[in-house]
Amino acid sequence: MTVAAASSSDGTGLARPAAQAAVLARYDELGTLLAGMDDRPRADPGLSAEAAPVLLHEARLLDAGRFEDWLAGWTDDAVLWLPLSAPAHPGTDQSLLLDDNRRLAERVEWRRDPSAWGQHPPSRTTRVVGSIEAWPAPGGGLVTRSTLLVDEFRHGRHQALAGYQIHELVGGDLERRTKILVMPALGTGVRNPSFLL
Amino acid sequence: MTTVSFDPASADFGQLVQPHRVHRRIYTDPQIFDLEMTRVFAASWCYVGHESEIPEAGDYRATTLGRRPVLMTRDRDGSVNVLLNRCTHRGTVLAVEAGGCAKRFVCPYHGWTFAPDGQLLAIPFPADHPVEDYSTLSLGRLATASYRGFVFATLNADPEPLECWLGEARDAFDTIVDRHPGGSIAVMGSPQLLEFVGNWKLSWDNAADGLHATFAHESYNTLGEKVDTETVLARDPGSTPMVSKALRNGHMVVDQRPGIPQGPWETMRKVPFREPMEYALVNAGHAGLLNLATGSMVNLSLFPNLLFVGNQLLVIEPVAVDRTRLQLWLTSAPDAPGEIDLLRLRVDEDFVNFGTPDDLDMFERVQRGLSIPEMEWIDMSRGLPDGSVDGDGSTIYGPITSEAPQRRYLAHYTTLMTTPAVTRAR
Ligand code: FES
Ligand SMILES: [Fe+2]
Repeated sequence: MTVAAASSSDGTGLARPAAQAAVLARYDELGTLLAGMDDRPRADPGLSAEAAPVLLHEARLLDAGRFEDWLAGWTDDAVLWLPLSAPAHPGTDQSLLLDDNRRLAERVEWRRDPSAWGQHPPSRTTRVVGSIEAWPAPGGGLVTRSTLLVDEFRHGRHQALAGYQIHELVGGDLERRTKILVMPALGTGVRNPSFLL
Repeated sequence: MTTVSFDPASADFGQLVQPHRVHRRIYTDPQIFDLEMTRVFAASWCYVGHESEIPEAGDYRATTLGRRPVLMTRDRDGSVNVLLNRCTHRGTVLAVEAGGCAKRFVCPYHGWTFAPDGQLLAIPFPADHPVEDYSTLSLGRLATASYRGFVFATLNADPEPLECWLGEARDAFDTIVDRHPGGSIAVMGSPQLLEFVGNWKLSWDNAADGLHATFAHESYNTLGEKVDTETVLARDPGSTPMVSKALRNGHMVVDQRPGIPQGPWETMRKVPFREPMEYALVNAGHAGLLNLATGSMVNLSLFPNLLFVGNQLLVIEPVAVDRTRLQLWLTSAPDAPGEIDLLRLRVDEDFVNFGTPDDLDMFERVQRGLSIPEMEWIDMSRGLPDGSVDGDGSTIYGPITSEAPQRRYLAHYTTLMTTPAVTRAR
């Protein structure tokens, strides 16, 4: 079998221990960000105010089904992670999903495919974002925590899931580098959760 | 329109499952559902959990068996017990967490205390309690047996030995376990839990259904095509050499391996964080190991509650006649290089996110369609007459488009429903 030529940007070309370590480094970052959230000090009021429109905008794009616009707001090294509970680690615990940029793009394509029966007809969602807190991120940018209530209506039924989301927003446009969505209902049983992003 | 009327507890039940068609009522009738919880789920061996989930004395895990709350525990001797999760005083459920470690189970209501093997150890204020022999008040026990570390239990008063019940299914079972280095397979922490508004048998009708991959999973196959990857489900079901097998006791196998000569890894799109580890493994001469990051490509279904799909164990939990919960547990390969489990985590998310939602939608649509009383029958005749049967009649082989596995599990189901076994707690 063959594998595409090495390129330093995606971590290919590394020897085995280094390749595994590179993956684990990002996973550890995610696990640590999630584990430390409850112990953070009171948020920075200015940064929290700055984060609010970014988070509300994202919620509006998702509720409106503007997935391509939503997709454009991620960095190249983006990760969207939906663990099944918290704390959790992406390298040892099963998740609902952990997407990089490539799989995020596939997810948007899948939702547009009329034979993706699980989302056709699509879920109609209403997101309520609240309790927005933000702190400076170590590498620049912001880390935010906000609560999220998503009401989903589909096939004549609705379900409401509540939880919280953690964002790492970087650069001048506050692009999403990391998003962790924690929905406790995932640990008890939900109907077709493919509306969660 | 013909109307089937019958006493659900009588042998007339057999009218509902005919060789070529099945009546809607077995999916919609709450009385039939209630009977199934005893005649099928309590009377059969059911998968409860894996020994790797309870490595230490006192470890336990809670689940359900035919809606009964049960506990799988490891006691001080290291043996595994499956117990009814119900205090023998007034009935309180003892453990309400999904799992944990408890040297003893203390009932929160009046303090009766039980050992992990189910023995009653203590009753508070015993002086005014007339019980003399505590052993009459042990927790209810199920007959328990393991195969390759997988724990099964039953309330059948006289069960056939587990290995006989598995029968020919042991071949596929061994194939799935033995490909793990050292034959060592384990089950990771918590499951994904997905529910659908439909009867539990809809997941059985689907488990060995090779035809639906082309239609219900068109969107999954399209994602593959866009990146020149022929997914395992993208094969022409009418001409693929993949084989389906209908075994005794309702068990089913779909062996996909003959249809993917290039090996399972080549059927996978690029999952997140794949490249660095893949490149390093290939460069170090371990390309073959990558197939371990995917499933065995042998889908084994053990009636009534365990499906092996990919690297996941799919456990079917009936909740109500029109409600089912699926537990999706991920298996790991503890003796394989670390990259394998890291890749498995992302690989098994793939189908769960881009395939399973479509299955769930089909199940809910079928349940809705079956609500129409005037349309009574479900056609199950594809592939009749049944194809090759091996010497002793134990296995029916056929193309993956045949509905022989569905017919056979439903025939076994009918036997269980019409000739009920005695069930009891030990
Ligand atoms: S119900 Fe358990 S001690 Fe009374
Ligand atoms: Fe399917």
